[in-house]
Amino acid sequence: MIEVPDLAVGALALGTLSAFALGGGLLRSRRQLAAQRAKTAALRAQLDGTTRAFTFEVEHLAVRRVPAAARQAAHSHVTEPGPLNPQLAGSPLGAALEQVLKGLHAELAAQRTRIDAAAQAGMRGATREIQAALYRLQDALRGLQQRYDDPELAQTLFELDHENEQSLRRAQIAAVVCGAWVGLAREESHLVDAVTGGQARLAGYRRVRVSNHLAAGTALVSHAVEPVAIIVAELLDNALRHSAPDTEVVVNLEAVHHGVCVTVDDAGLGMTQDERARAQRMVAGSDPILLTELGDPPRMGLAAVGRLTRQFDLSVDLTSPSPYGGVRAVLRVDRHLLTRIDPEEVPPAASAPRSTRRAAVRDAGSGSGGSRPSHGPGPGPSDPHPTPQSGPSDPPSTPQSGPSDPYPTPQSGPSDPYPTPRPGLPDPHPTPPPTPAVPPHAPASAPAEALADASAGSDDSARSEPAVTPRIPGPLPTAARHGHDHGYGKEQDAEAPAPGHHGPRESDGLPQRRRRGRATAPSGPVAAEGAPQRRPRRPEESAAALGALQSGTAAARFAAGSNTGAVPAVPEGAPAATTADQASEDVHSNDDEGGTAR
Amino acid sequence: MTGRRGGRPLVPAYLSTGGVARPSRAHLERLSVLTASGEPAPAELPAAQAALLEELEYGSLTVLEAAALLRLPVSAVLVLAADLLDRGLVLARAPIPPARRFDPDLLKRVADGLRDLKHR
Repeated sequence: MIEVPDLAVGALALGTLSAFALGGGLLRSRRQLAAQRAKTAALRAQLDGTTRAFTFEVEHLAVRRVPAAARQAAHSHVTEPGPLNPQLAGSPLGAALEQVLKGLHAELAAQRTRIDAAAQAGMRGATREIQAALYRLQDALRGLQQRYDDPELAQTLFELDHENEQSLRRAQIAAVVCGAWVGLAREESHLVDAVTGGQARLAGYRRVRVSNHLAAGTALVSHAVEPVAIIVAELLDNALRHSAPDTEVVVNLEAVHHGVCVTVDDAGLGMTQDERARAQRMVAGSDPILLTELGDPPRMGLAAVGRLTRQFDLSVDLTSPSPYGGVRAVLRVDRHLLTRIDPEEVPPAASAPRSTRRAAVRDAGSGSGGSRPSHGPGPGPSDPHPTPQSGPSDPPSTPQSGPSDPYPTPQSGPSDPYPTPRPGLPDPHPTPPPTPAVPPHAPASAPAEALADASAGSDDSARSEPAVTPRIPGPLPTAARHGHDHGYGKEQDAEAPAPGHHGPRESDGLPQRRRRGRATAPSGPVAAEGAPQRRPRRPEESAAALGALQSGTAAARFAAGSNTGAVPAVPEGAPAATTADQASEDVHSNDDEGGTAR
Repeated sequence: MTGRRGGRPLVPAYLSTGGVARPSRAHLERLSVLTASGEPAPAELPAAQAALLEELEYGSLTVLEAAALLRLPVSAVLVLAADLLDRGLVLARAPIPPARRFDPDLLKRVADGLRDLKHR
């Protein structure tokens, strides 16, 4: 039998043992739990930190980096800050954030281009309207200039015209920068005209000195005229703007191997290396133009030059400094944009500087001949007037002194080789010869007809419209006759007049610009010996001439009286009239063309 | 006209005189006759003045004709001519008055007289 106390002891021991075992397990688990807790806490803390860092980073992105990136698109000098935590750079988070910025950049650029294009389109439309309106205004102003020559009014019109040109230039530049066409189609023009036209568009145009070293007739093809004028105006504007108001801006037009160069030199400040590089980039026209990049107010000049150089295959160089200390701008117009205009037919504008080459040829020629080197058969050698002074000194000995008189006055008739009253023919208009005192008040066109008659022997077309002879010759101061070559002498000396002289006048009734007679001067012996005999008529000679006319008239009248009704063969242009009644009527119908002076 | 002359002129008129429209001499008129004096032109002569002088080389011209040939308004040519006058390169003369019509009465009497002579 088992004792009760043993049992109790055994049970107690077992209980104790199990209690120990349990206690140990409990302790262990408690420890584990604490460790777990600590770990959890640490992890939670770490997570908190990371989240906070992430939040800060995103906040930083939103507050600093994105605006900076946006600003940088417009102003490249703005630096974009990096992430807050520099270690983030290589991490996936950092890369993701960079992606955000990249996307932003791309979208911003696209938006800017779109908005700029819209702005340009708006501006293009507006400037085109303005430009058209200004051209209409220009037409009106020029019409007024032609119509009124009151000095005060003309002064105002000139000023308005100049203001208008400047406004036009601005509008045109803005349009060109915005991608519009230059807005005006021109016909092919002298290059010097385009340069001078560009010069006229500036406020300080008086400070510009243009030297034209091109061969006469160097011209631009039609589509290059206006672009060249615009480019020259802009280059000149820069030069004028950046140089002192008392300095000149020098423009040289020179032929080069590939075409023509227009060099603009100013004596101003010059540009720094950076400025020069930027300007060269602008005028090269290789970068797309954004209005927002041109500054405020936008500096459009060089941008427009860039557009035009690219469109029209011109080239502008700003890289070399000027010997005057400022900037040298060189516009090169290549050969494919050049053409030739006959300067005789379409001369350059009066204000355009004459070619220095021509002067050289002229000096080498014969002092006064050779108006344009490349035209006309041999300007110098064939000129029958080597020196104008030689004319008056030669004594007159032959009747050719008549035709060589540059100013055939009415009373010079009989001594003319082609006298109006032909010898043996009855004078169709038996009017009393005018007295020598009359000349200054002689009918304006009378000498003109006399001239036409004088040249009728060789050119009948002149005779058919005597009243439109472009010159109004008349008695002139002796000094003018001495030592100066005149067109009249030339025309009359010529056995065949200068081919272009009367030709154009036949085509239509309008007065024409004369061809330069001198270049096509006759070289025949008659011309050669007739020319130098020009000299003032002495009073005795005039009296003799008048006497001859009177006696001739009397003889003719007698002859006409003896056979009444016979119609004499008179040249056309001198209407035949035999009876006194008809004569008086003719006088009425003819006096407008100076018929009465005969 | 040659046809190519049409179109908008590239070079405005004010450039020819440097923007001046008030001539230095007031007596010139549209029909004043200009003649080159024969003096040699100085080299520094402004282009437009040289052009006017060049036109006058071939004979006398009225101001109006010169304006048409130079394609300038008359007001500009007046200034140019006045400047050339000041330099003594050009001589100017008063306009030639228009031709006067003959008195028809006088002509009739002359005709009557002539007829009288013839029949006598």
